[in-house]
Amino acid sequence: MPETSTRTDGAAGEAMELWRNWLTETERQWNSFFAEVMGRDSFGRVAGSYMEAYSVVQRALNQGMERYLNTFNLPTHSDVVELGERLHNIEERLATLEANLNNLASAAGIPTTAAVTQLRPRRTRRPRTSKNESK
Amino acid sequence: MATVRQTDVNRLLDAAQTQVQKNRQRLEKGLDILLAREEPLVGVTPKDVIYSRGTLRLYHYRPMSDEVYRVPVVFVMSLVSKPFILDLTFGQSFVQYMLAQGFDVFMVDWGIPRPEDKRLKLDDYVLDFMPRCFEEVQKATGEKDYSILGYCMGGQLALMHAGLNPGAPIANMVCAATPVDMEGMGLFRHFSDRRWFDVDRLVDAVGNIPPDFMLRSFEMLRPMDRWMSYVRLLDNLWDPVFVYGYRVMYKWTNEQIPFAGEAYRQMIRELMWENKLMKNTLTLDNRRVDTKAITCPVLNVMAEHDHIAPFAATKPLTSLVSSRDTDEVVLKGGHVSLVAGKNAVGRLWPKVAEWLGERSV
Repeated sequence: MPETSTRTDGAAGEAMELWRNWLTETERQWNSFFAEVMGRDSFGRVAGSYMEAYSVVQRALNQGMERYLNTFNLPTHSDVVELGERLHNIEERLATLEANLNNLASAAGIPTTAAVTQLRPRRTRRPRTSKNESK
Repeated sequence: MATVRQTDVNRLLDAAQTQVQKNRQRLEKGLDILLAREEPLVGVTPKDVIYSRGTLRLYHYRPMSDEVYRVPVVFVMSLVSKPFILDLTFGQSFVQYMLAQGFDVFMVDWGIPRPEDKRLKLDDYVLDFMPRCFEEVQKATGEKDYSILGYCMGGQLALMHAGLNPGAPIANMVCAATPVDMEGMGLFRHFSDRRWFDVDRLVDAVGNIPPDFMLRSFEMLRPMDRWMSYVRLLDNLWDPVFVYGYRVMYKWTNEQIPFAGEAYRQMIRELMWENKLMKNTLTLDNRRVDTKAITCPVLNVMAEHDHIAPFAATKPLTSLVSSRDTDEVVLKGGHVSLVAGKNAVGRLWPKVAEWLGERSV
């Protein structure tokens, strides 16, 4: 009886293994099939038409929304982006100022980074395979 | 006979108990995923931001040893995905491995482009941001030269940077899954064929290319992968290690980021349509990217079954440079398993560490 049971376990394991192999093979075959279909010019044209329609709709929506929000005196996407750009410019200038201050501080010997980043390891490591290491 | 039956009953009970246990774990792990409980932590290797500009962050990872190689290594990530694929999680982090091997590691994280970043071109990334980051690396280490490790499009950016600056003190360059010959890009090239793909209309309409668009284009290359990954998850839902690995990868795959509009336009027009990187005719800001001017040691790492950057597109990389010291590694597996996963841990990481180590003293 135990032999039968072991055989049953083995059979179940084999069945699962077969199923997993089948799954992998099915995935490969379907992927190949889709790749073959999507590799056709006709698919390219359809996808291209879809993208074109998407772009047209997106642009029309953007323009419509801009007009709508302008009518109600509300900030539009472009306004928000413009604000973002201005903020970005301020950040840039602050970063430049900070960098210049850091340079001045470094020149004066004042630490400008966290203590941990000042812990500089020795830069003398050599690969294990090198002759120096093995000696 | 009675003893035998008792043994069988025990065996059956054991089997039933195992199944109950597995099903309980399946239920528990399934709920974790459905309810997004205990999200896996990614990109947690300790680091300091040593430079930031807009969405760009330059990380300096804290060294794990008192003695490091003289030449620091800078990881340059692709523009289309988050960089934590190179620093996934404990035991599966390329960054952590390199730190443990004694490298001083930096990473250029481009961040998530904001709507106002739609005007950013490859020129900005290659001629402005990258050189600035390398200057910061030089300042932080006190070393003049540095190695670059570019993954996917990061490798293309590294090639462009080196091709534009022949005098740049690049000690070594490692390009992983870096497509250079767009003739070999398979379905990607077909989808973006100029006969039906109007890149100008798309960029003019949307600005930055939406992350969903990028995700779907990657998925279309192998449409069954997502569904089969669900089936495999169900099959292994009882296994916490499998589920954790699945969730980490799922997080990375699905957290796609937008592509800066103008940079995308350039990628399609200059690289995908004209194949200018391969023909060595690419110009950025009216300056020629001459890859033949690259003379530093170059390691080209490729995946045999890469469907995003196919082998045919990555193979010619070393033929584009004039370096005398070039090496190639071809591994089984795909675009992601090349740098993360068992294959990477066992084969790629040690190879890169060994190759760079010999050239970083």
